[in-house]
Amino acid sequence: MFKKSPVIKIALTHLLAKKRQTIVAMLGVTFGIAIFIFQAGLMSGFQAYFIDETVNTTANIRIYNEAEKNRKSILSKLYADENKWVVVQNQKPKDELTKIKNGYQIIAALEKDSRVLGVSPFLGSQAIFKVGIAQIAGRVSGVDIIKENVLFDVSKNMRQGDITKLQTIPNGIILGDGLAELLGAKMNDNISITSPLGVTLEMKIVGINHSGLTEVDKSRAYINIRNAQKLLKVDGSYITDINIKLKDFNQAEALAKFYHQKFGFKTVDWKEANASVFSVFKIQNMVTYLIIASILIVSGFGIFNILMMIIYEKMPDIAILKAIGYKDSDIKKIFLTESLIIGMLGGLLGLIIGFFMQKIVGSIRMDIKGFVSMEYLRFNSSPGFYVFAYFFGLLATAIAGYIPARKAAKMDAIDIIRSK
Amino acid sequence: MGNIIETKNLSKSFHDPVEFQALKNINVSIKQGEFASIVGSSGSGKSTLLYVLSTLDTDYTGHIFFDGDDLSLKSKNDLAEIRNEKIGFVFQFHYLLPEFTVLENVCLPALKLAKYSEEEIRERAYQKLDLLGLRDQALKKANKLSGGQQQRVAIARALINEPKIIFGDEPTGNLDSKNSQNVFEIFKELKEKFNQSIVVVTHDQHFAERTDRIITLSDGEVISQ
Repeated sequence: MFKKSPVIKIALTHLLAKKRQTIVAMLGVTFGIAIFIFQAGLMSGFQAYFIDETVNTTANIRIYNEAEKNRKSILSKLYADENKWVVVQNQKPKDELTKIKNGYQIIAALEKDSRVLGVSPFLGSQAIFKVGIAQIAGRVSGVDIIKENVLFDVSKNMRQGDITKLQTIPNGIILGDGLAELLGAKMNDNISITSPLGVTLEMKIVGINHSGLTEVDKSRAYINIRNAQKLLKVDGSYITDINIKLKDFNQAEALAKFYHQKFGFKTVDWKEANASVFSVFKIQNMVTYLIIASILIVSGFGIFNILMMIIYEKMPDIAILKAIGYKDSDIKKIFLTESLIIGMLGGLLGLIIGFFMQKIVGSIRMDIKGFVSMEYLRFNSSPGFYVFAYFFGLLATAIAGYIPARKAAKMDAIDIIRSK
Repeated sequence: MGNIIETKNLSKSFHDPVEFQALKNINVSIKQGEFASIVGSSGSGKSTLLYVLSTLDTDYTGHIFFDGDDLSLKSKNDLAEIRNEKIGFVFQFHYLLPEFTVLENVCLPALKLAKYSEEEIRERAYQKLDLLGLRDQALKKANKLSGGQQQRVAIARALINEPKIIFGDEPTGNLDSKNSQNVFEIFKELKEKFNQSIVVVTHDQHFAERTDRIITLSDGEVISQ
C-alpha cells in the first residue's frame, strides 16, 4: 500500500508511465551535475592548490621599509608658508636605506608572540647569475635557511641537495630549478653572482629547488644572509624584510595592521600581496559557474518538457483529484515531487559520474607548467563541495518543475470534465 | 428534514465565444435524504447546474447555501475541503486513476481527509467495496475492470467519507441497462439506509422516473420540479 499521502505514489506512477522521457530528463540533470563536479572541482581544486602554494611561498605577513619617494625638499620644509613659492628641480630620492632598524630585536620580539609560528629575516637583491658565458638576471634571497624552512618548507621542495649545506658551506647557493635549467647549471657547479653595486661572489650550487610557482623558480636563488650583506656592502645587522608565518594564516590581515602600529614599518599580508591573482580567480569562477548554470538550464528544459507532457496526458487524473477534494496545492505538490524525483536521482548519478571523472582525470600525469607547475590535476573533492553541487542541481530542477506544477494546479476541473 | 442545498436567484453566463446565459434565476432546494434527478435536453444547462451546485464551478451570480453555508463566501481551499468531506462524485466517465488498484482509488478521498488512520481507512474501503460487491476485485488495477465494475468503484470512492450528498453526472450514461439498474438500486439503498441525498443528471427517462423528484430544465430555466 502507499504512505499516508498518496502524492508520492501518484508522482511515481506518472514517471513510470513515461519511462524513456523520464530517463532522458534525468540524464540532463546527471550531465549538469557531473560537469559541475568536474569543472568547478577542477577550478576550485586548482585555486586551493594555488592558494596553498602561495601561502607556502609568500609570507603570511611581510614587514618592510619603503624608501620615501616624493619627499619634501629641505627648502620647502624651511619655508612651509603656503604663500611662498619654492622650486627645487631634478630632486633625486635620498640615498636612504630601506633597512629595518633593529631588525633582529623585532625578530626576537615576534618570536615571543604566541600567534606566530616562525619569523625569518630577509635581505634581497637583484643579481646577474653567470655560468661561463650564460648570463641571467634574477634575484637572490639572503636568508637564514633554517628559519626560512620553518616558514616556507624549503626542504620539501628540494629536488637535489640539502638546505643545511647553505649554512655549512660558506659560499653555498640554492637555485630554482627553472633558473638552473636556463643557466645549464648542475649540482656542485660553480656560479658567479654580481650585484647592482658591482660586487661579485663565486658560489657553489648546493641545491636545486622547485617551489611550484614557475615565475619564482625561473628567477630566484637562496644564499646565506651574510653573503647577501656582502653583495650589498652592508653590515651584519642589515635586513630589509621580516617574514612572518602565523599559526592561523586567516589572522594575517588583522595582525598585519597590529604590527604596523607596533613597529612602525610597512606590513603587507599574503592576500594583499596576491590581490591581482585573486581577481583573476573571481573571473575564472564566474565563467565556470555561468557554463554550469547554462547546462542546468538546458536540463531544466528537459524536466519542464516531460512534466508538461505528463500533465496533458493525466488531465483526467487532475480533474478527479480536484473533484474529490484535493486542493490546488496538493496538485502542485504532485508535479513538484515528480521534478524533484528526477532531480534527486539524476543528481545522485551525476555526483557518482563526476566523482569518477575526477578520479580518472586526476590520475593521468599532466606535468603542467604555467602559472603554477604540477604533475597531476588537483580537484576539489571535499564532501561539502558535492553537497553544494547537489543542492544547486535540486534548485534548478525545482525551478524547472515549478512552472508546470503551477499550471497543473490552476487547471479547471470543469473544463477538463466538459471536454470529455 | 432540512435542506442540504438551496439556491437563490442562481444565474450563470458563458462569455466565450459568445455571451450566453446558461442558467437563469434558478431557485431549487434539495432535502437531506432526497433522491432527485435533473433532466432536460442537451444544452438545457443541466450539467452546468450540477457543476455549480457541487462547488466545482464558482463562476456564477446569486447564492448557493450548502448545509447552511453561503458558498459564494468560501475560498477555493474551503470548497475543496467541503467537497472532500461532504460531497461524493460519480461521473459518466469513471475517472479512476488507471494505474492504481481498486482499493487505492477508493481510499484516495479518505487519505486526503485524514480523519482516520490508514488501517481504518482500508477497513472502511473494504466495507464500501463489500456493499458494492467488489471485495474480490480490491487489489486489481482499476483499468483491468469492466465499465460497470469501474462505475461501482467510483461509487465506492464517492462513499468513503460518508458524504451528505452524492452528485452523479450521467452516472449510467455509459452502462448497459442491467448495470444501470444496478447503479439505481445502489443509489436507492444509500438514500434509504444512510439518508444521503443524491442528485443525478441524466437523460435516461426510465432512470429519472423512478427517482423521488424530477427537476426539468429547459434553456437554463427550471420548468418543473
